[in-house]
Amino acid sequence: MIFGMATSPGVQCEDFLPPQAEARAFWLLRRRIIVARVRQLLTHARLRLSIVIILSAILWFGLFGLFAEGFMFLDSAVPHPQWRDQIVQTVLGSFFVALMLMLVLSAGVLIYGALFRSPETTFLLTIPARTERVFLHKFQEALVFSSWGFVLLGSPVLLAFGVVSAVPWYYYAMLLPMVIAFVYIPVAWGAILCLLLIRYLPRGAGALLALIGASAVLAAAVLIRGLITEMQSELLTPGWLHDMLSRLRFSEARLLPSWWLTNGLLSAAEGDWSEAMLLLVLLISNALFWRQVAIWVAGLLLRTAYSNLAGRTATSRRPHSALVDRLADCLLCIAPRPMRLMIIKDLRLFRRDPVQWSQFFIFFGLLLVYFVNIGSFSHSLHYSGWVNMVSFLNLSVVGLLLSTFTTRFIFPMISLEARRFWLLGMLPLRRHTILWSKFLFATAGAIVPCCVLILVSDFALRVPRSIVLTHQLSCLVLCVGLAGIAVGLGARFPDFREESAARIAAGFGGTLNLVLSTLYIVVVLALMALPFHFLVAADQAARTFSQFGPHPWMAESLRLQGWFRLWLVGGTIGGLILAAATTVWVMYVGLRAFNRWEF
Amino acid sequence: MIEFHNVTRRYGRKVAVADLSLSIGPGELFALLGPNGAGKTTTIKMLVGLLRPDGGTVRVCGRDVAQDIREASRMIGYVPDQPFLYDKLTGREFLEFVGQMRGLPPVVLAERIASQVCELELGDFLDELIETYSHGMRQRLVFAAAFLHDPPVLVIDEPLVGLDPRSSRLVKNLLRARTAAGASVLMSTHLLSLAEEIATRIGIVDRGRIKFLGTKAQLQQLLALPHTSLEQLFLQLTEGNHQPTRVQGDGVSPAASPAPAVDDGSGELSRASRADGQLAAHYSKPCNITADADPCDTTASDVPRQHRCADPAERRPAEDS
Repeated sequence: MIFGMATSPGVQCEDFLPPQAEARAFWLLRRRIIVARVRQLLTHARLRLSIVIILSAILWFGLFGLFAEGFMFLDSAVPHPQWRDQIVQTVLGSFFVALMLMLVLSAGVLIYGALFRSPETTFLLTIPARTERVFLHKFQEALVFSSWGFVLLGSPVLLAFGVVSAVPWYYYAMLLPMVIAFVYIPVAWGAILCLLLIRYLPRGAGALLALIGASAVLAAAVLIRGLITEMQSELLTPGWLHDMLSRLRFSEARLLPSWWLTNGLLSAAEGDWSEAMLLLVLLISNALFWRQVAIWVAGLLLRTAYSNLAGRTATSRRPHSALVDRLADCLLCIAPRPMRLMIIKDLRLFRRDPVQWSQFFIFFGLLLVYFVNIGSFSHSLHYSGWVNMVSFLNLSVVGLLLSTFTTRFIFPMISLEARRFWLLGMLPLRRHTILWSKFLFATAGAIVPCCVLILVSDFALRVPRSIVLTHQLSCLVLCVGLAGIAVGLGARFPDFREESAARIAAGFGGTLNLVLSTLYIVVVLALMALPFHFLVAADQAARTFSQFGPHPWMAESLRLQGWFRLWLVGGTIGGLILAAATTVWVMYVGLRAFNRWEF
Repeated sequence: MIEFHNVTRRYGRKVAVADLSLSIGPGELFALLGPNGAGKTTTIKMLVGLLRPDGGTVRVCGRDVAQDIREASRMIGYVPDQPFLYDKLTGREFLEFVGQMRGLPPVVLAERIASQVCELELGDFLDELIETYSHGMRQRLVFAAAFLHDPPVLVIDEPLVGLDPRSSRLVKNLLRARTAAGASVLMSTHLLSLAEEIATRIGIVDRGRIKFLGTKAQLQQLLALPHTSLEQLFLQLTEGNHQPTRVQGDGVSPAASPAPAVDDGSGELSRASRADGQLAAHYSKPCNITADADPCDTTASDVPRQHRCADPAERRPAEDS
């Protein structure tokens, strides 16, 4: 029976849909979309799907193996169970605290995009759906997107711990509900923060976010500084360990959800069923509470916030070129003019999109903070091998970060350019100019921050000049090669349908780019940087042994040094050839595909 | 059924809509015209509840849109200029979702979807994924979604963009038929020929202010330019320094019946009025719609709704023709 008013005589006004029916309608909508996507993948992209699954499985099992090794090392290297438990608790607690903060920020950004920049939200706000339901629909999406990284990285850690510690079965049973309940809380906080910000500060939201980001980096810097300075004990001694654990006690604040998760899991691992259940219930009840608060806030503020945000005025740009553009024009004076103009255009687009450069700033900023502070160790160390190892690891980290940067920002640039091809295609511009300008933009954009970062790390660690030069050369080779791979593959595997750079990067081409980039980094570092570090290690070992007089190890050390020198020379030449060949070949493949594009 | 009372909306220091007062009654197809940036889309977005006015009130069937958006949105069928569609749904699934959200029971929903499929000729592609649709197919689907719950108020932003002539004719006929059946239609368009062809009244807005409200004949009279096209009248009004003119005083809408034929010499709007009556007969619904009843009257009798496809042999004569 239909109740309600008539919209016209004889025509019934339908009643509002009850909340449960409304929820069912939205879940049916979501289910249909997921089924359609999966069906398409299984029909048209089985190879793609298989590669993604296989690579994800390799990554997962690799991480699982790594963490399992780490926990086994802990078992063997730390004989005292009390110390071992304390270390595990502190490490997990710190991990979950950092994760919690990152989830708040990432959820806030995702909710902003989902609620205030999505055409779907505009559509949903014009049908008689409850505002709370519209918010929940988008909140669920943000929950999945912001937590998948945690699931990918966190699950191998937690499962490895369970396997190594031979935990009871209910540890595994409690793992999933605890993790889900935990993730819910910071995502709800992020959503509430976003709604409040947009409602009350629509004009200042961008500036405030920048301030929050900068404050977060500054707080991280102060925290790291506080952790590693003024240590009373020598590095890697029991005293040092005790000191470090004391400094990380902030992660054991009992009001933090991260503490509930850490201790809930550890209690389950130890067989303390009741404590684990208590903390699980605490997590679930808080998750539900904050979910309700977020829904309530959304019901009050969403529509007004949406309307307020639409009322923001656009900021006027100065008519003349910015200093950055003029500087770029000057620095690129050797490049042909059309190429220079394309690069300056890309530079403007990049810096006017806060989503792009804020991630860049956060990741590279945090690395810079870490590198600056790591110098605090070097002057107190007698173990120079540690410095040798850490400097190599720092180079690897910068390389890996660069690969995620090129995958996330450079790879999608070509696909997004397709949307502007109505203009570019009509200009007297050869297609390869467009592609080479992207390559130049990517290379120049990567070289400066990466080489500076590596330089900071090497100076902070006070490594010899030879290592600095090796690292800078490796960095150059990495930047050129990774830029070429991203641009070439971006042209070979474009995605014309997606408007979002993040979604383009998450597709098959982006995944392939990430995998090939990682392989390239491993090969280049193995050829060019690793032999030098082995050489330095062998030289240090020889010097150490020489203090004790003639020793059979000295001859072995000298023999190894010979091999390492050969490896270094051959590897450096090989690395340079590989970089040139990779860049040229991938760019050639991309250019050929780009020239055949049809729109 | 659509009422703007002294509505103002600002974007920072820029006034997008300034002190707009306008009423559109049942059976009226009102065309909102104006240059780019005049405030047409802002006006429409305030009407459908996406934006909140900084001053004044917007009412739909007596309900304040800002205070009671859910009630108001039940009365509205909205066709935006850039509609959103779920690419991974089929057209049928999309209509089912919209119908469910409108509270239509399954049986009624199925009937109405069948009716819309017929009227908008969606049958060939309704069960394919929306991502495979052309622009015209997507636009027709959006119209179907807007008409599904038989709203008394239709709000349409640029209805004919990207439509082929056949689809354009379909949409025009449907809009005329809905108007003839008693709906209030607010249509924003840059196509002055469309306004000339089907609108019963026009409003010309420029820089956030109404410059003219009335019919084309009245505008010709005002500007002393008889036998002039609407395009020329529009340009004359928006390029000149004419004061805003409300030909009908406070913009009170005409009676709920289709606009009577007016022999004003221009011919266009009067032909449309006669065509309205014929179309009302062609598309009439057997739902006891009377010409002078208030479509928002809550005391109307409980009569089940039925829709049928266009088959002249099966239709009853329109009661208001």
